[in-house]
Amino acid sequence: MRGARSAKWVATAIVVALAATACGGSDDGGDGAGNPDGIVRVDGGEPQNPLLPTNTNEQFGALVVQNVFSKLLDFDDHGEIFMVAAESVEPSEDNGTWTVTLKDGWTFHDGTPVTAQHYVDAWNWAANIDNNQNNSFWFADIVGYEDVHPAEEGAEPTADAMSGLKVVDELTFTIELTTPVSYYDYKLGYDAFTPLPDSFYDDPEAFGEHPIGQGPYEFTAWNHGESIELTRYDDYAGEPAKNGGVHITSYDSLEAAYTDLRSNNLDIIRQVAPRDLPLYRDDLGEDHSVAQPYNGIQTIVPVWYEWEDTDPRVLQGVSMAIDRETITQTVLDGSRTPADSFVPPGVYGYQEGAANGITDFNPEEARRLVEEGGGIPDNKITIQYNSDGGHQEWVEAVCNSIIETLDVECVGDAKVDFDTDLEAREADEVQSMYRGGWFADYPLNVNFLKELYHSEAQSNYGRFDNEEVDALFEEGDAAATLDETAQAYAEAEQVLFEEMPAIPLWFNNVNGGWSENVSNVRFDSAGQPVLSEVTVNN
Amino acid sequence: MPDQAPEALKKSGALSETETLKKEAIPTAAAPATVVEAGPAPGRPRSLWSDAWHELRRRPTFLIAATIILVLFVMAAFPGWFTSVSPREADLTTNYLKEPQLTHFFSPEWLGYNQQGQSIWARMVHGTRASIIIGVAVTAIVLVFGGLVGMLAGYFGGWIDAILSRIVDVFLGIPFLLGTMVILVSFDTRTEWTVIMALAFLGWTTIARVMRGSVISVKQADYVAAARSLGAGTWRIMLRHILPNALAPVIVVAMVALGGYITAEAVLSFLGIGLTEPAISWGGDINRAQDRIRVAEHILLYPSILLSITILSFLMLGDAVRDALDPKLR
Repeated sequence: MRGARSAKWVATAIVVALAATACGGSDDGGDGAGNPDGIVRVDGGEPQNPLLPTNTNEQFGALVVQNVFSKLLDFDDHGEIFMVAAESVEPSEDNGTWTVTLKDGWTFHDGTPVTAQHYVDAWNWAANIDNNQNNSFWFADIVGYEDVHPAEEGAEPTADAMSGLKVVDELTFTIELTTPVSYYDYKLGYDAFTPLPDSFYDDPEAFGEHPIGQGPYEFTAWNHGESIELTRYDDYAGEPAKNGGVHITSYDSLEAAYTDLRSNNLDIIRQVAPRDLPLYRDDLGEDHSVAQPYNGIQTIVPVWYEWEDTDPRVLQGVSMAIDRETITQTVLDGSRTPADSFVPPGVYGYQEGAANGITDFNPEEARRLVEEGGGIPDNKITIQYNSDGGHQEWVEAVCNSIIETLDVECVGDAKVDFDTDLEAREADEVQSMYRGGWFADYPLNVNFLKELYHSEAQSNYGRFDNEEVDALFEEGDAAATLDETAQAYAEAEQVLFEEMPAIPLWFNNVNGGWSENVSNVRFDSAGQPVLSEVTVNN
Repeated sequence: MPDQAPEALKKSGALSETETLKKEAIPTAAAPATVVEAGPAPGRPRSLWSDAWHELRRRPTFLIAATIILVLFVMAAFPGWFTSVSPREADLTTNYLKEPQLTHFFSPEWLGYNQQGQSIWARMVHGTRASIIIGVAVTAIVLVFGGLVGMLAGYFGGWIDAILSRIVDVFLGIPFLLGTMVILVSFDTRTEWTVIMALAFLGWTTIARVMRGSVISVKQADYVAAARSLGAGTWRIMLRHILPNALAPVIVVAMVALGGYITAEAVLSFLGIGLTEPAISWGGDINRAQDRIRVAEHILLYPSILLSITILSFLMLGDAVRDALDPKLR
């Protein structure tokens, strides 16, 4: 015991000493531009698929693809568009045809110039059903998609190219859409809308092992299961990277990555493990860590086949029975921000306080609404969730909050894994409510509303079906300008709070941190560090 | 110096002589009394079991283990006697991860509060039931079923033994914990009975083996031959003559295994494939305490201590019983 205590003192002394020296270091490095050739070490994992922008749909692959390729356009913290590789993206009068003009002077990492033809060819290749790309559905709005990607099982494509894509000149091409969409430029901000160099078509397989893009970083090496190396592309035509390259280390666990970060073997951790959530801000310091919302929301969704005959006021009451503020601060260790709308704040069309008090903790009002609405069916709520995703604690806390306020039964219904959870949702076998989660495909409120609450939406597992809401969505889609679209959807969001197809709980936070080695670390609204802006001290 | 030496020797010799006499006198007087007091009623020889009982009553390990186990059983049956608050009552606003008040014995705040603002002491008390029920029920099922298989195989021998022993081999080939995991993940909701069945399904083989060996050795005893020559039937020989004499090693194995089953339940719940909500289980609570080990170690510490004490008690009990039943170890 005595030994242990003195060891603790020594450890504390070392930590204090280290912190003191480190502080001095960061003051020196913070001001300057840093070492232009320094390498940034960031945590990652083994990508699942070949590294093609049109085939990558998980975070580890995306981390590579997003830095090796530059998108046409990107989004700021409020979901506003800014151009990256494109000079402009303009809709026609009726929003049916979009003209993309590229910036001049861009080259692939093999030195060949990027032209409009590269974009068109790459998209045609990816949309073709024979090439079996995970993200091919992103091209489904383009005229001629059915010809290269027939919907019927086993059908052969009848064309090589989508007729809606036309090259106008070296740097311009047009996209014709099957139905006019006023916000198509938002979709163009997805990773899949990138060009591929000519060399790709010689050997797509080898390319997937060693992609050649036009982004700020050149791909150098992929040591499978261990690391991926990227180096700065010096002829990059956009804003050049402020460091020499990126070393992405594969980790089996976030805990291991965190330990490495603290022992200075890693520079940036993108998300700390639940174990480290309570103390990571103390460990790393407020100026070397973040806890900020990004474009994700968590809800609990009542399934309509069980709740159809219930007055929506009951669900508003249930929503008010949940003490989001306390739960996010305690059980969730600040890894979430209480929600006040169906749309996260970093998304275009977000209305602050759209819930109008329905997501505030208000026990009296909650009891009144539930009573007026005729009570909860069978006085019992179950919340289905997948037990492999770290949801148990908050589901239990939400239930405890509901039990406490409304004096009804509430239990979690754990499914072994996400697949099992999803199966039950697809088969309409959810008992009462399920845990819903949604991350932005593109930061526009449309993405958070239509994909979840339109009666025909694929992810509408709650089977919510409301004509008024559907009509408002369709009105928004047919609107002439982006603002009108967002406005119509915002109106629809107000109706959703009257009907309660889901109970918004909180927005996801990114809980990242970085070492004393690096400065100027910023996380974007998708929750990813902006690697090209990072500077390496010394 | 040399002169005095014989004197001293003589003195001490004389002293020890009288002392020895005195010492001897006391035992000779007391010894018969002890024998009479502790001895069996005249005409009835002490059986293996009453012998063992006598042996056990003097062993401190047995007494300590038995007391703890008794308390645990009472706790499992009447949790309300030990704590007044519900294990589910949660108050995040005031009780989140509250530190233990170690002087407030048996009050809700005694061992602190967990990450849901629930009293750790109340959860420990109410978690006892799951552990005890599972431990006892699995042991009982395993004893009956495994004992029966072992008895049949050992007594009849021949092809019956061959078949039964091969079946036992097949089950022994399945790793115990891994096998139960495979069974349990196929259930969405798992109650105490699901876990009991899964553990018993793979746990009966050890008992069957021990029973078989024990029956084979007892079968050759003279009194069995005597009973047979007197015309006793198969069942009578099995139940009256072989079973009581073959049971000792089986009981010992079962007692040690009981602790093992409680561990197994805790391990399964720890891995998230044991009891499901809303059941309260030590293993489950320990699992969920892991994430907060750096900020609140008490939520991990106290349930772990109770789990260790429980398992240790059953192991100690098994040990003591084995020592008492085996004359060679006495």
